[in-house]
Amino acid sequence: MSSRRCRARAEVSRSSDERPLKARATWRLAAVMAAAVAALAMLAMGLQYRLVETRLMQAQRALLTADLDGFAALYDQRRIIALREAIALRAASGGGEMLLLMDRQGGVLAGTLKGWPEGLARQGEGFTVDPAQEIARGGSRWLAVARELPGGFPLLLGRSLQPVDDTLAALRRGMLGLLAAVLVAAAGTGWLAARWVMGRIGRVNALADRVAAGDLSARLPGPRAPDEFGLLETHVHAMLDRIENLNRATHHLSDTIAHELRTPLNRMVQRLSRLEGQEEEVGALKAEMRQAIRMFDALLDISRAEADQGGGGLLPVDLSGVAAEVWELYEPLAEDKGLLPQAQVAPGLMVLGDRTLIAQVVANLLDNAIKYCGPGDSLTLTVVAEGGRNLLRLADSGPGLPAGLREEAFDRFTRADRDRARGIKGHGLGLALVRAIAARHGARLTLPEVARGLTVELAFPALAEDGAGSAG
Amino acid sequence: MTDSIPTPAAEADGRILIVEDDPETAAAVASVVRDLGCTPVHRGTLDEGVAEAAAGGYRVIVLDRMLPGGDGVEAMARIRAGGSGALILILSALGRAAQRVEGLEKGADDYLPKPFEPEELRARLRALLRRGTMQVLDNDLMAFGDLEIRLKARTVHVKLTHVPVSPKEFELITYFARHSGQLVTRMQLLENVWNLHFDPGTNVVDVHVGRLRRKLEEAGSHAIQTARGEGYVFAPLPGAG
Repeated sequence: MSSRRCRARAEVSRSSDERPLKARATWRLAAVMAAAVAALAMLAMGLQYRLVETRLMQAQRALLTADLDGFAALYDQRRIIALREAIALRAASGGGEMLLLMDRQGGVLAGTLKGWPEGLARQGEGFTVDPAQEIARGGSRWLAVARELPGGFPLLLGRSLQPVDDTLAALRRGMLGLLAAVLVAAAGTGWLAARWVMGRIGRVNALADRVAAGDLSARLPGPRAPDEFGLLETHVHAMLDRIENLNRATHHLSDTIAHELRTPLNRMVQRLSRLEGQEEEVGALKAEMRQAIRMFDALLDISRAEADQGGGGLLPVDLSGVAAEVWELYEPLAEDKGLLPQAQVAPGLMVLGDRTLIAQVVANLLDNAIKYCGPGDSLTLTVVAEGGRNLLRLADSGPGLPAGLREEAFDRFTRADRDRARGIKGHGLGLALVRAIAARHGARLTLPEVARGLTVELAFPALAEDGAGSAG
Repeated sequence: MTDSIPTPAAEADGRILIVEDDPETAAAVASVVRDLGCTPVHRGTLDEGVAEAAAGGYRVIVLDRMLPGGDGVEAMARIRAGGSGALILILSALGRAAQRVEGLEKGADDYLPKPFEPEELRARLRALLRRGTMQVLDNDLMAFGDLEIRLKARTVHVKLTHVPVSPKEFELITYFARHSGQLVTRMQLLENVWNLHFDPGTNVVDVHVGRLRRKLEEAGSHAIQTARGEGYVFAPLPGAG
């Protein structure tokens, strides 16, 4: 037995599944917009922060340079003496600077410090601002110039960076607040924009839903906006117009074909009925014609069911009831042929469907099974609610499908060679019609792998008994 | 032969309007109408047909669908609005199950697809003519000689002996009884007893009728007889058998 599993799937996705997707897309778009705006704002503020920091540092350096220039002028006049007087004066005035002049032995000559800061290296002996160094002292940063003047007099001049740090801290706080505000504003704007975009797309989606529900003439009201969405709507409308026209043409064509074929057939039947004395021949001819019409109707039924696939026009139908009725019609035929028919039909299972089409499916499947099974074979119809779907299963223990035919069993005009050899009549449209009708109902059609015979399963979307099913 | 069944007087003398654009089909229908003892009147377009129906006096209208001027099914409302109380039989090439159901749902009294057997049309026209005159069955009992059908109890008795029938067989014998003496075709049974409007290919109905017939015969009634080719006749009164 072939281990391949043939699955003829016919499922229509339901539009109601798409709701959460839409909301996700809105939020995603809003988040992306907010992140983009926030990133740009952060970049801009970062640059500005750098600029302010550099400028403030430069200002401190300039102040330090001015001090150094002043002390250099005094040193030029009277060397250490003048320097010592000036520093003592400045230290006494308490300007918040760091000043220190020492003698060769390490004694403090003048300044605001009690001794040379530990670990601070003296760099050079001139009064230029470079090289300057940053040191931490008393809980704040200082920009300091440490020198050893000619003759071994250490000199330290520093300016506090506290004002710079305070300004920068204030700036950072302001920027953080601003960034939060930008984030909120961007997210809000993004959400609104996304909602607007999704609203426009939602209009088109709602239209598609209505069309899918069978209203081919549904269109969006109001004028088209002169943008991409308007263009999208125009395109969708053009496509719908085309589909509607094609559909109408198809229906008209199939009606015309029916008329043009059946009218001459009708004349033939009338003439045949007037023939006398050849009853057997006339009966055979009429049976042939009836067979041809059945095949022809099946073809039209298939194309109609395919054209209406996923469309509306379906009503709540008692699947259990229809299946039981058709079963009841065929059961005696199966019994007469020596089959062992058995039905397990759970009552009251409702589906959204077309009663005639469902009856045709059950009749076709039963007719098929009875045709192929022989005396002693079992034939079991099961209608049951299973996994959220209403399942119709017909299992027989007959010859099953020949290997290699499982894949195309549901194609039009597929017939097994052995049937032709055995003289079993048929046109190979029964199962094709079953597939088309299953698709019309959004039912999943499967041929489960079984040890013996053929099992056909149709899983209809369930409809709650109050008619408020998910497929509504 | 079906012709041997006596035609009740009430069925004769009716006028039947045929709205049909194919002359050959119209002639075939007219011939069936004359067989029934009625007078055929033929119109070739929808508008003429609707006007003629309004002119009145028809018991049955045999209406085509794809006519010059439109669809007969869509014109039924106009015919009714014109004051015609005639029963309407749609006779159309649009014979798929869905189209038949559509026609019946839109108010047709019967729907026969083309090509049709003259016997089939005759049986259906006769049923319609009969329906027009049939008295309301308000009593519980339908009695045909020694065969009795009790509607409320849903039981069948032959010579006062109870004949056990399934619910479907009861519906079957009731339908036969309502059309006693007439040819009843398989298609009519399928449509009226099983409410199915497609040709199942195999003669599933025969098996059911066969079982019912055997049950009646075992009880001593030969009420159901096979009519040549097309169906059955319920003729329970003695003299027929």
